[in-house]
Amino acid sequence: MIGARRDDGVTLEPPSANEPLLKVEDLSIEYRVGAGTFQAVRDVSFELYPGRVLGIVGETGCGKSTLAHAIPRLLPEPPAKIRSGKIIYQGVDLAQVPKWKIPRVRGTGVGMVFQEPINSLNPSFRIYSQVVESIRVRRMRDAGKMPSFQPGPQAFDYSRRPQLSTAEAMAHPLTPVLPSGIRDRGPPPIPKQLREEVLEALRLVRINDPETILGLYPHELSGGMRQRVMIAMALSQRPTLLIADEPTSALDVTIQAQVLSLMKELMEEVKTSILFISHDLGVIAEMADEVGVMYAGHLVELGPVDEVFGHPGHPYTRALLDSVPTRYKDDGPLPSLGGNVPNLSRLPPGCPFHTRCPIAEAPCSVSPGPLLEILPGRPPGIQHRAACLYPERVEARP
Amino acid sequence: MGRSRTDLLVFIAKRLAVLPFVLLGIIAITFFFTHIAVRNPCASWIPHAHPGALQNCINYFGLNQPLTTQFVKYLSSLAAGNWGIDPLGGQPVAPVILAAVPATIELVLASLFLMVVIGIPLGVIAANSNGRWADHLVRVLYLSGWATPTYLGALVLAVIVGPAVGLPSGGAYTTSTPPFPQPTHFSVIDALLAGSPSGVADAFSHLILPATALAFLNMGIATRMTRSSMLEVLPLDYVKTARMKGLSDIFVVYKHALRNSLISTTTVLGITAGSLLSGTVVIEEIFRWPGMGDYAFNAITSYNFAGTIATVVIFALGVVIANLVADVLYGVLDPRVEWR
Repeated sequence: MIGARRDDGVTLEPPSANEPLLKVEDLSIEYRVGAGTFQAVRDVSFELYPGRVLGIVGETGCGKSTLAHAIPRLLPEPPAKIRSGKIIYQGVDLAQVPKWKIPRVRGTGVGMVFQEPINSLNPSFRIYSQVVESIRVRRMRDAGKMPSFQPGPQAFDYSRRPQLSTAEAMAHPLTPVLPSGIRDRGPPPIPKQLREEVLEALRLVRINDPETILGLYPHELSGGMRQRVMIAMALSQRPTLLIADEPTSALDVTIQAQVLSLMKELMEEVKTSILFISHDLGVIAEMADEVGVMYAGHLVELGPVDEVFGHPGHPYTRALLDSVPTRYKDDGPLPSLGGNVPNLSRLPPGCPFHTRCPIAEAPCSVSPGPLLEILPGRPPGIQHRAACLYPERVEARP
Repeated sequence: MGRSRTDLLVFIAKRLAVLPFVLLGIIAITFFFTHIAVRNPCASWIPHAHPGALQNCINYFGLNQPLTTQFVKYLSSLAAGNWGIDPLGGQPVAPVILAAVPATIELVLASLFLMVVIGIPLGVIAANSNGRWADHLVRVLYLSGWATPTYLGALVLAVIVGPAVGLPSGGAYTTSTPPFPQPTHFSVIDALLAGSPSGVADAFSHLILPATALAFLNMGIATRMTRSSMLEVLPLDYVKTARMKGLSDIFVVYKHALRNSLISTTTVLGITAGSLLSGTVVIEEIFRWPGMGDYAFNAITSYNFAGTIATVVIFALGVVIANLVADVLYGVLDPRVEWR
C-alpha cells in the first residue's frame, strides 16, 4: 500500500529555503472560562517555508482560528493562554516576546486578513485613511523611524523578495459602483506621493478607478470590495508572512470565486508565505501547497495537499473528504460521522478521534499518536505525517 | 435624508421647530404648580402685614383672578418681552437672570471639560485593564462619586479640601465684584478681556473647586459608559486589523477603539446635562457661585414665581440644546448615521 503511493506520478518539489520561516513546536493554547479550561489547541507542530502556502483545515471549533490568532499574539490574554510550546518566527520565539514588543512583529512581519470584511474595516474612517496607516507603518519602519522586529540569525532575506508591482493584465477587475446620494467628498488631505501609493495598493487588488473609493466609508462598499481593500492593506505592508483567516467564507459564492482567484494571482506575484485557514476543502486544495488537518485542537495530519487529499493517512481526514459533495456521486445521502466532537474541556485519553473512528483498536484509547511520517526519508517541507497508528488502513480515495 | 450640510441644517431646524411647544408646556406646568401650591404668596412676601396692605398686594398681582386668566396675562406679558418682577425687590427678573446665566454655563462647561478629560481616559484605562487592579480602582472611584450625595461631596470639597490645598471655595472672585467690567459675565473670559493676568488666575482658582465638585459627582457615568462601550469595541475585528498593522497599543486604543466607543458616551453626556444643571443648584449654593442655580434656589424659597418660571425655562432650554448638540456629535462621530 505504502509503496504504491510513491508511484502515483505526483512530483513534489521541496522548498527552496532550508530554514522554515515559521516553526510552531508543540503549541498548546487554553481558554480559561469561569472555573474550567478549554484546550483549544494541543501540541500542534508544523513548519512553514518561505514562499509556500500552508492550509489549515478543520470544522468549526477545531482550533484553527485560535492557532491563526496565536501566531501574531492576537488572542486576548486572558482568557486565552499559551500554555506551552514555541512559535518560532525568523528564529525568534514569539511566545516569549514581551507583549509591548509584539506590535513590531505585526504588519511588515506578519500580516493578517480576517474573515468578515464587514467588521474588519473601521466604520468611522474613510478608506484612504485606513490604507494610509498601513503604508505609513511600512515606510516609517523602512526609514528606521519606527521600531521593527529584529530578525534572528535565520532571517528571510528581504532583498531577495520581488517588489510588488501593479499587475498589467487585470484578470478580475472590479469597478466600484457608488451608492446613490454620495456626494464627492473631495480629494483626501494626504501628500500626493502617499496618495499614489494608496492608489497603487488598491490597483494591485484589481480595483478599477480606485480614486472613487478613497473618500468613502467602509459601509458604502460591497463585501467583495471591502475584502479587496483588506487584502490591499495587508499587502501594502509587504508582509513576510500573511495569515488569511477564512478570507472568503463570509462572501457570496461568486464574489468568493473572484477573491480566491485574485488571491491566487497575487500569490504568484507577491511570493509571500501564507498560512491559509479555511473550513472549505476545495478552497484549500486550490490555494495551498501543504495542508494541515485539525480535529479537536489536534493537528491530525500534515502533508502536501495532493497527497493528503488523495491518500489520507488519518481516518478523520478521510471522513472529512467523504462529506464533500461531488457532482459524480449519486448514491444517496453523503456519509456523515456518528457522534460529536469531544468536549474540549474533557478530551478522552488517547487519540481524540478514537471514539468516532471506524478503524480504532485498543491502543488508540491509551495515548495520542504523535505525528509520524507515513513515508520516511523525505526532505523537510514535503513530508506527509499523520497522527494515526494505522495510516495504512485508511483507504485512498477513488 | 442623507449626510450633507443641508440635511444637517434641516435636522437642526426640525428639532428647533418643536422647541416653542416644549417651552410653552414647561411654562404652563411650572406656572400652575407654583400658583396652585401657594395660593396666597402675599402673606409670606410681606409678613405681619396690615390686612389692607395684603389686599393691595393681591389686587396688584391679580392673585384673586381665576388661574387661567392669570396664565393668559402672564403669557401676554412674556410675549411683550416682560418676564415679570421680583415681588420682594420690585425689580424686573430678566436682567438679574441673564447676568447669572453665563456663570452657570461656565461652571457646567468647566465640569463637562473635567468629565471629558478625566472621566473618559479613566474609562479607557479601566477597560484596558479589565479585571485587574486599575479597573477595580477606577470602579471604586466612580462608584464613590456616583454614590456620594451632591451636597455632601460639595461640602467636603468646600470645607475640608479647599482650605487644605489653598483653593478658594466661595464666589467667582476674591472680591464680590471684580475691579474690571463684566461685559460677558463669564468670570474667566471677563478677566481675559480686561487683560488682567491676576484676575484670570483669581477667576480660574475660584472655578476649580465647584467645577470639580459638579464633575466628580457626574463623572462616573462618563467613565462607566466609556468603559463598557470600549469593552464591546476592543474584541471587534477592526481593532484586530489596526493591531495587525503594527500600530502601538496606545494608538490602536485611542484612535480606533475610542472613536467608536465615544458614540455612546456622547449620547449619555447629553443626557447628563440635565443632571449637571440641577446639580448646579446645590453646588452654587454651597460655593456661593453667582449663577442661575443660586438664583433659582432663592427664587423658589421666596415665592418669586416670575423668577422660578424663568429659571426653569432656561434650564429646560439648556437640556434641549445639550441633547441637540449630543445628537449632532453622534452623527459627526458615526458616519453611518443619517440626519432625519
